[in-house]
Amino acid sequence: MKKQALTILLILCSFKLAAQNSEIHGDFSLNLQSYIEDETINATAADEVVLNNAFLNLIYSSNNFTVGLRYESYLNALLDYDSEFKGNGIPYRYATYSIDGLEITAGNFYEQFGSGLIFRSYEEKGLGIDNAMDGVRLKYRIGKGISLKSFIGKSRTFFTYADGIFRGIDGEVDVNETFGLENQTKYILGGSFISRYEQRSNPKFIIPQNVAAYAGRLNILNGGWNYYGEYAYKINDPINSLQEREMNYASGSAFTNSITYSQRGFGVTAEIHRADNMLLLSERDRIGKAYIMNYIPTLSKPHAYTLLAIYPCATQAMGELGVQLDLFYKFKKGTLLGGKYGTKINLNLSRINALDSIGNSMLHDNIDHTPALLSFDEELYFSDINLEINKKVNKKVKYNAVFAHQKYNKDFLEGKTPGEYGTLSSTIGIIDLSYKIKKGHTIRIETQALFAKEIDSVSKKQEGDWIMALAEYTISPNWFFAIQDMYNYGNEDESKRLHYMNINFGFLKGATRFEIGYGKKREGIFCVGGVCKVVPSSNGLNLSITSSF
Amino acid sequence: MKKSFCFIILIGFLNSCDDLEGPYIDDTFVINGNGKNVLIEDFTAHRCSNCPNAAREIEAIHDVYGSKIISLAIHAGFQFAYPYDTTIAVNPDQKFTYDFRTIWGAEIDTKFGLSAGGLPNGMINRIDWTENGGDHRKDFSQWASITADELDKEVQFGININSTLVSGDTINITIDTEALTSLSGNYKLVVCLSENNIINWQTDGTYEDSDYVHSHVLRSLLTTSWGDDLTSASIYNGDIFNHTYSIDLSDLEDNNIQNSLNMNQGNGNAGGWDANNLYVIAYVYDVSNYEILQVEEKSLLTK
Amino acid sequence: MKKSIILLTTLLLSCGITFSQKRNLPNIEVKTLKGNSFNIQDLNNEGNPMVISFWATWCKPCKKELNAIAEVYGEWQNETGVKLIAISIDDTRSMSKVAPYVNSSDWEYDVYLDSNSDLKRAMGVSTVPHTFLINGEGNIVWHHKGYIDGDEEELYEQIEHLVK
Repeated sequence: MKKQALTILLILCSFKLAAQNSEIHGDFSLNLQSYIEDETINATAADEVVLNNAFLNLIYSSNNFTVGLRYESYLNALLDYDSEFKGNGIPYRYATYSIDGLEITAGNFYEQFGSGLIFRSYEEKGLGIDNAMDGVRLKYRIGKGISLKSFIGKSRTFFTYADGIFRGIDGEVDVNETFGLENQTKYILGGSFISRYEQRSNPKFIIPQNVAAYAGRLNILNGGWNYYGEYAYKINDPINSLQEREMNYASGSAFTNSITYSQRGFGVTAEIHRADNMLLLSERDRIGKAYIMNYIPTLSKPHAYTLLAIYPCATQAMGELGVQLDLFYKFKKGTLLGGKYGTKINLNLSRINALDSIGNSMLHDNIDHTPALLSFDEELYFSDINLEINKKVNKKVKYNAVFAHQKYNKDFLEGKTPGEYGTLSSTIGIIDLSYKIKKGHTIRIETQALFAKEIDSVSKKQEGDWIMALAEYTISPNWFFAIQDMYNYGNEDESKRLHYMNINFGFLKGATRFEIGYGKKREGIFCVGGVCKVVPSSNGLNLSITSSF
Repeated sequence: MKKSFCFIILIGFLNSCDDLEGPYIDDTFVINGNGKNVLIEDFTAHRCSNCPNAAREIEAIHDVYGSKIISLAIHAGFQFAYPYDTTIAVNPDQKFTYDFRTIWGAEIDTKFGLSAGGLPNGMINRIDWTENGGDHRKDFSQWASITADELDKEVQFGININSTLVSGDTINITIDTEALTSLSGNYKLVVCLSENNIINWQTDGTYEDSDYVHSHVLRSLLTTSWGDDLTSASIYNGDIFNHTYSIDLSDLEDNNIQNSLNMNQGNGNAGGWDANNLYVIAYVYDVSNYEILQVEEKSLLTK
Repeated sequence: MKKSIILLTTLLLSCGITFSQKRNLPNIEVKTLKGNSFNIQDLNNEGNPMVISFWATWCKPCKKELNAIAEVYGEWQNETGVKLIAISIDDTRSMSKVAPYVNSSDWEYDVYLDSNSDLKRAMGVSTVPHTFLINGEGNIVWHHKGYIDGDEEELYEQIEHLVK
């Protein structure tokens, strides 16, 4: 570590820097949590009593030159993190400079090609995902409207790197700019290519050492219209088993299409996507989100209210077909529905099904199956119909109301035995009301209810109905205080009809935020962008400090 | 200059893929090896729907490498190894009433954090374990290639197992461990019993199989989970260390029930305990890093 | 480890690099809603202040903040000439909802997409909302994490302070 720090320092010192243009900034975050045993919710106490996640980002830049590093500390990692995050280190450091339209990065970098169908390297602290690349990247702007990116590197897994070596190239052409078209309609074309090398080591089956994936995309824009389409393909990528039934030599594919129209006061988006055998891993034999290198965005609305997100959807990269429709409308001020300040509504519909019979493409010496392009199976993974109304009543009162109906295939999405939990059908209502008491002082009350019904389930341990209430008092610009209770009054297991009470207190000043919380957290699934992690139940005190400079 | 550089990269990339056509089986492989055997510890559970895939993988590895591969199915964890809980759901078909977990299996599972990392999961000769965690948990798709690497390693010990019926149901088991090289450090010997051919419930993918054949199931340990010292003296090439254990066949099932993890269903060790299907497995490991250096297996009753 | 950071910092100072108090915008490209690439260093408001606000369609306090400012934005512009730049960190899951949301909400802001969070990281933003105030010379002079009802008034005071 010391060596790394010194190297970075030497790089810094070896540059003659103009004092006026150089600067250093970054951000810091600390998250401490104590764990108390609570048998009623199955929460365990940590041997360490207190667990800690912390990181510090430092970025130094001068003219066209930037270096950065991130120090990370997990002593030991919070229980909802993968236990392989252990210890301290500087797993992220890089240097970048740009000259004449060429940008060179050495060290760690994050990258995404197109919408990520074949490659996305990113970090999501909340999920404990960080698959930063370590290697070399070039970005080059060739003349008007044409840009190229290429890289070579290995991806991070916890404090080490996965075996696969990735090589990638991506090009994008802004057709109008390149050819000087004065059209109303704008066309942007893009293409990308990824190849992963991993040594062959299977004594029985032939294994491709170089696995390639490529994708093409098209974006057409005209006035309020926007069409985006991308198609991705991956060649055969079997795992390293010795069983024929586990060896799948089929290629994979995915597409995503969206069409959007919007104008003042109105917007609509319609989307369809399909994934078939389209998981690209940094090591072919590994399981776990740390090894996933492509990103197929989930086709449902990311919800922020607790009870809407209690049964979240996650993309099934091995096979699914999904559609989604979003409608945004604002009733104008002074109309019947608009009232004095206008009323905003958002209607969102989504539905995700399995692909036909087998579920995804399969190919080995005995089986050859490819699902038809737009086929889907009766097996529903997830559906969501929700309407959100956002309204300011007068200078003091604002509210948000949400009504939703969701179906969640728990057996499938959580890998349970089929028929055990079945599909959960839930109806959810939420009212979120804020009242401004006086300048800077606001009270907000949130009430939520979820009514659940099980379909095709034999289990008698379903969670059933929930209610939740939250009260929050804020004083701008520095203070907030919140108390909330979630009550699982409908649990089929009477001993689990529990309250999950939480109290939070926070102080904000400029770019620093302190927060102290105490309470119980429900065991559950937490997702960001359709990638999910399982969060164990816990009971204890939490302290978090984030700061940016 | 820059343009041509990018162009070269592009051409290099387009060549870098291996699109294959069947047949995919490659029967030209050669098995080397130098007397070293490999222990695959398969952490599994009867209600874990993916676990039979790992069990089948072991059989496939056996098919390729033969008797050099010795395996133990260690039922572990809470969610999936737990017997059917009739207090929260009815069980008219008497599914999953048994519990294959043992205190020894649980101790090993806790030490290495296997079931906590999700099932199925396993260790190959317990390599790559470190005090700070390590990379010792292996998904079953990794087993074949790691096993191949292990078989190529130098062998330090030879193990010979002998079991003799002395009287009635009493069996003496003798383990002779021969050092094939001089060694420093501490080594321990662990001796266990496994059972093949137990027919009972198992979730297999989307199917609940009432007649699933459970193989290599860890039933009992004759030593503690961490074994007996191989010797207290230095180890020289050619030394032979002799350990003898005695078991009473009529006590085994009862002994095992007392050491079962069963919590809410009384005695869960249903089925099995057929002495004809029992095997003795003995292994020697390095105390400093828990790596298993040699393992041997023999059926309990000489056929 | 801590030692090496201290070491790094002390050596940094001792090897003669002095940092200016001014903080500039990073050299990072984002996308406009019209599909064009845009380098954030090219932001310019003819010598008037600018506000850069990081937000996302799934972030309730972010939308609250930008909706609250939207009501008074016209006044703010008339009084101070300020321009608000809203940087959406929605990734490709919710990126297609950005334009419909912005347009249906009648926002007059310049909106950019930072779909793999490159700008977010470069500016040291760990959570949204996070709001920066940029002076007429393009330097960051103030920033603020989070949003509490009424915070826009503090922001406006800071803007007024700049143009005085």
